Amino acid sequence: MPNPVPQRYHGLSGMAWLSTLFLAGCKGQQSVLAPAGRDAEVLAGLFWVLLAGAVVLWLAVNGLMLYIAHLNPRPQSRRMAEGLIIGGGIVLPTLLLTALLIYSLREMPRQREAGSGLTVRITGESWWWRVEYLREGTPIASANEVRLPTGSRSELVLEASEYIHSFWIPAFGGKTDMIPGRTTRMSLEPTKSGEYRGQCTEFCGESHARMALIGVAMEPQDFAEWLTAQAGPADDPLTPQAMRGRDIFLREGCGGCHTIRGTPAQGAVGPDLTHFGGRRSLAAATLPMERQALIDWLRDPAAIKPGVRMPAYDHVPEADLADLATYLEGLE
Amino acid sequence: MSASDVSPTAPGSDVLDSPMQGVWPPTPAMLASPVDPDLSRAQAKRLRKAWETPRGWRHVTAVNNTHVGKWYAMTALAFMLGAGVLALLMRIQLAVPENGFLDSDRFNQFFTMHGSAMMFLFAVPMFEAISILLLPALLGTRDMPFPRLSAYGYWCFLIGGIFVLGSVLFDAAPSSGWFMYPPLATESEGIGADIWLLGLSFIEVASIAAAVELIVGVIKCRPPGMRINLMPLYAWYVLVVGGMILFAFPPLIAGDFLFELQRSLDWPFFDPDRGGDPLLWQHLFWIFGHPEVYIIFLPSIAIAAMVVPTAARVPIAGYSWIVLSAVGTGFLSFGLWVHHMFTTGLPALSLGFFSAASEAVVIPTGVQIFAFLATLMVGRARMILPMLWIAGAVAIFTAGGLTGVMVALAPFDWQVHDTYFIVAHLHYTLFGGMVFPVIGGVYYFFPVIKKKKLSERLGRWSFWLCFTGFNICFLPMHLTGLLGMPRRVYTYQADLGWNALNLVSTVGAFVLALGILVFVWDLVRPKRHEPHTPRNPWGAGTLEWTHDVPDEPWGVRSVPYITSRYPLWDQPELLARMDAGRFYLPDAPEGLRETMITSAVDAVPLHVARLSGPGWSPLVAALFTGGAFILPTFKIYTPAVICGLLAIAAILFWLWTATARIPEKPFKDGGLGLRLPTYVSGPKAPGWWAVFITMLGDATGFASLVFGMFFYWTARPDFPPPDSPHADPVLSGIAALLFGAAWAATRLARGLNAAGLIGAARGSLLAGPLLALAGCGALIAAILHLAPQTHVYPAMVWALVIWTVSHVLCGAIMQGYCLARSLAGRMTAQYDADLWNTTLFWHFLLATCLIGTAMVALIPRAM
Amino acid sequence: MAQRHRSLWHMIIAPVIWALHFLAVYCFSAIVCAKAAPFGWAQGGVLAMTAVALALIFWQAVLAWRQWDFLDDGDHVHERPTATSRREFLGHAGLLLAIVSFIAVTFVTLPVLFVGDCR
Repeated sequence: MPNPVPQRYHGLSGMAWLSTLFLAGCKGQQSVLAPAGRDAEVLAGLFWVLLAGAVVLWLAVNGLMLYIAHLNPRPQSRRMAEGLIIGGGIVLPTLLLTALLIYSLREMPRQREAGSGLTVRITGESWWWRVEYLREGTPIASANEVRLPTGSRSELVLEASEYIHSFWIPAFGGKTDMIPGRTTRMSLEPTKSGEYRGQCTEFCGESHARMALIGVAMEPQDFAEWLTAQAGPADDPLTPQAMRGRDIFLREGCGGCHTIRGTPAQGAVGPDLTHFGGRRSLAAATLPMERQALIDWLRDPAAIKPGVRMPAYDHVPEADLADLATYLEGLE
Repeated sequence: MSASDVSPTAPGSDVLDSPMQGVWPPTPAMLASPVDPDLSRAQAKRLRKAWETPRGWRHVTAVNNTHVGKWYAMTALAFMLGAGVLALLMRIQLAVPENGFLDSDRFNQFFTMHGSAMMFLFAVPMFEAISILLLPALLGTRDMPFPRLSAYGYWCFLIGGIFVLGSVLFDAAPSSGWFMYPPLATESEGIGADIWLLGLSFIEVASIAAAVELIVGVIKCRPPGMRINLMPLYAWYVLVVGGMILFAFPPLIAGDFLFELQRSLDWPFFDPDRGGDPLLWQHLFWIFGHPEVYIIFLPSIAIAAMVVPTAARVPIAGYSWIVLSAVGTGFLSFGLWVHHMFTTGLPALSLGFFSAASEAVVIPTGVQIFAFLATLMVGRARMILPMLWIAGAVAIFTAGGLTGVMVALAPFDWQVHDTYFIVAHLHYTLFGGMVFPVIGGVYYFFPVIKKKKLSERLGRWSFWLCFTGFNICFLPMHLTGLLGMPRRVYTYQADLGWNALNLVSTVGAFVLALGILVFVWDLVRPKRHEPHTPRNPWGAGTLEWTHDVPDEPWGVRSVPYITSRYPLWDQPELLARMDAGRFYLPDAPEGLRETMITSAVDAVPLHVARLSGPGWSPLVAALFTGGAFILPTFKIYTPAVICGLLAIAAILFWLWTATARIPEKPFKDGGLGLRLPTYVSGPKAPGWWAVFITMLGDATGFASLVFGMFFYWTARPDFPPPDSPHADPVLSGIAALLFGAAWAATRLARGLNAAGLIGAARGSLLAGPLLALAGCGALIAAILHLAPQTHVYPAMVWALVIWTVSHVLCGAIMQGYCLARSLAGRMTAQYDADLWNTTLFWHFLLATCLIGTAMVALIPRAM
Repeated sequence: MAQRHRSLWHMIIAPVIWALHFLAVYCFSAIVCAKAAPFGWAQGGVLAMTAVALALIFWQAVLAWRQWDFLDDGDHVHERPTATSRREFLGHAGLLLAIVSFIAVTFVTLPVLFVGDCR
């Protein structure tokens, strides 16, 4: 069976991935244990406490079992045995669970607190993320990348077009489902600026595995500047190559699905490409934002994302694809 | 002697309710008096003849629990191996990043089928199989109360299972996950989703049949004297799990019903554009799905409750505590379902309730584990091989339970939900809570089943391979999940830190598979030349170890009188007396299969039940039922309807020929000076209880539809739409009145029949179906102007009407059946069990009809 | 009382109360939240239902305790083939179920104390 993603994108083959086996483990760019947001920090802390408790209890129960079974101590009285059932089965769990339950119940509304500034509407599409920064008037459209300011709580309004998805950037906090016909909400409060990977966690069909996104936490000042730039129309192509690329884009009907603000391309089916070149990844964080990756994607998207709705452009000459890529890369 | 001569053993005994005549309880002198060996041999010969298993190609008509149970268990094992192969193929695909071994669609089919098959074709059927196989032995009874029902359930399971699992081979398997969430599943192309819906609904019906039989078996078929406080713990668990199946499976069947209506007729239950809501399915699925986990876990832990006292050589410590644990878990498990939906954006308050209940269920589960530890402390533990598996199970299960405490905390679940952390958690609970105890149970009970022992050496090899393989496979998955790997992805990128962990898991999966293979080989390897096992090789105390070596078809030579929880330890003469035929029903003078029916709490003998023997009808009925469920998958509707009708005909033939047969004499000698009735009707009869229990489950299904109506009302602002037409109130009212009249006719017929007014009773039974059919017509006419494809409101109304009308048709058939039985002389004033059962059905039906009509015509106007 | 001594149904009254309480609490608060009624209603309603449920369970526990009759003979094993043993067993199991149901009802009430709104 053909490998769906050309070898070079994971850049590793044969022995090469063996060497990264153990190194990559530390990066943790999609890790619950490497938090960069208020909620994720609380939950990572909670996890370590729970883990310690679980290890102690597991060792106690199984140690007792091993002790009885292998060392064959003197048989105990029935009264003693019932004491163990009452102590271990009722008293201890009731106390521990009450404490845990109260802690988590108090934490729940905190993690769902209303945002204090930015509201972002994110729609789960098949299989990518439509991202709109809400403001007075038209929202600022983007895709597959969610940027949030650090230090304040931003509100996320979640919707879905076709299937159920689940929005999750573990470094920031928990996940919330996106359900067709419903609007769900969540809020996140990034604390450390940086880039973090997120991924759809509700099974959504053929390309579920290929539906990821990049979460970017930015200093509030940087974020404000970036958002202002995003609100503007696309840069005009400057080089002849890029200009040809724009003509190919329009000739091939890409505008039927995609919007590039400031051009006739006003389609709303696929991701908004106005500032495409400024994004960190391609095809919902499936490929790196690199020229060759982009050309391969344009030629045959389904080879990379099974079931993808974008048609293949393998009838377009290679040179034209290269120009198209140049144009798109330039849309920063 | 008459009943009034019997002196009750103690105050509060229900002995006076019993219609028996003679001595109860038996005196020590009676029990001690020897049986003439010649007589005993002659009795044994007649008994053997009555219970003879059909040979040759007629073997498939066998209905004896020891045969059906074996087929059932082996079939479930085969399906498990199939689903396990799918898991290995998935592990190969995930061993390295960006692997091309399986493509996305194939991978999705595999994980969907792995989950569905493990749940529906292995875990639950394996419980039914083991229970059908062992329960009669544990209770010292001859067979299950409805042997043909077990056989019917088995054949349904086999046909449905092959159909569902076979679809993988034709690349046509469902691929939307075992949870089948709409809209993905409702909109998926091909027949995969239909295979899932129809094939598994079919199997669910078989599960409910088994649950009914097991419950009746536990409450009515215990040996005389085995009061409820002496019952083996396994029976307690069967009782609880049977009850859980009754309340857990029907919501899923109701969900399947709505789902299939959407797929085949485009009624928009889950389509938000026409007022539907995908979340309703999630509720119905998980109301089933969470109790399901405990339905799998409890019977397996029940096996442990049988093994542990044997290993410790003392009675179980904290019997009442374990009963508390079983019953408490059974209840609490119904308050957990939303913890599968913690991330769906429901209000935090709702999540809080389910989070709290999910933590509360830890208490009875913990009590269970500590009761085992306490038992081992009280006795002197021997690490016999089955106990080794149980100890491994406890080690694995406690780990799964502790991660369960973590994920029951909603905020923590928001992080790990739908990641490999959950994959690890659920496999720890299911392997620790099901696979390990079941394999331990097979090693323990195998001598009862095959009269040979399994290999000690292979068993230990298998254990250590499974135990290490399991932990190598699943322990790293906790970390994989915390590092962010979602479930159900067919591949992953190389730079996420998941590579090493996944490779290790794949290696572990193969080690685990090897362990399972060693076990399977031990199970199926030829043992013809090995010696028979001793009768009680582990030195256990419970009744299954009174089995005959070599095998005899009769279950028990005579049904014992029980005065202890561990009769083999406390009743030294028991075995010899059972073998000699000293106890009850030692003979089969009429050549009929018989077993003892006793009272529910104190196990006082009530009557001698004549059981149905081998026959083709269960197999034929299952084949046609299969046709009725399977053909619609391929949009073949007319033959499907014909199959459905033939299935009903086959079931009626089976009922007609094999149930409620008028006995040749009203009383017979039951042994030990006891004369017992040979026919009872009403609440004393197992059949009446079976109808009662079935209808409880049926009512749950109906309640799920009613819940759906209210769910839309709370979830959607426009339900019902303000401008939507409603059902015609006048016609609906007439329908309700007609249904009421049909119910009254049935009830009246029972009274008239019992009073000997046979002609009037027949008239009433003739009027009943006519009134019922007229009611159906009126109800359908009341809603004909509603278009179910336009909006979920009319669709819901139609769904309720279809449910109600199909039940009324069933009720009408039952009335007609009673009329025919009366006319044929198979039902008389004295022998009227059919009419009792039909009346009971109609009691439930009346409630369904009245609530259904109100839900259709009244409630929506008030919403 | 005599009926109670040999009834399985009486043994499970406490968990049935838990189940009804759970269902009522969940449905009531879901409706309050869905129909945007004041959150205080949810809190008040749930606390009232809990008070009733706990009182009923406590009452059941008292009946079960009397049925168990532990203090007269100290029997907590109930393994004899007598009506007394059976009666005491059903009482003992009923009491234990009442205790667990009491804890479970209390647990299920905690959310209304610590979650302050419908979000």
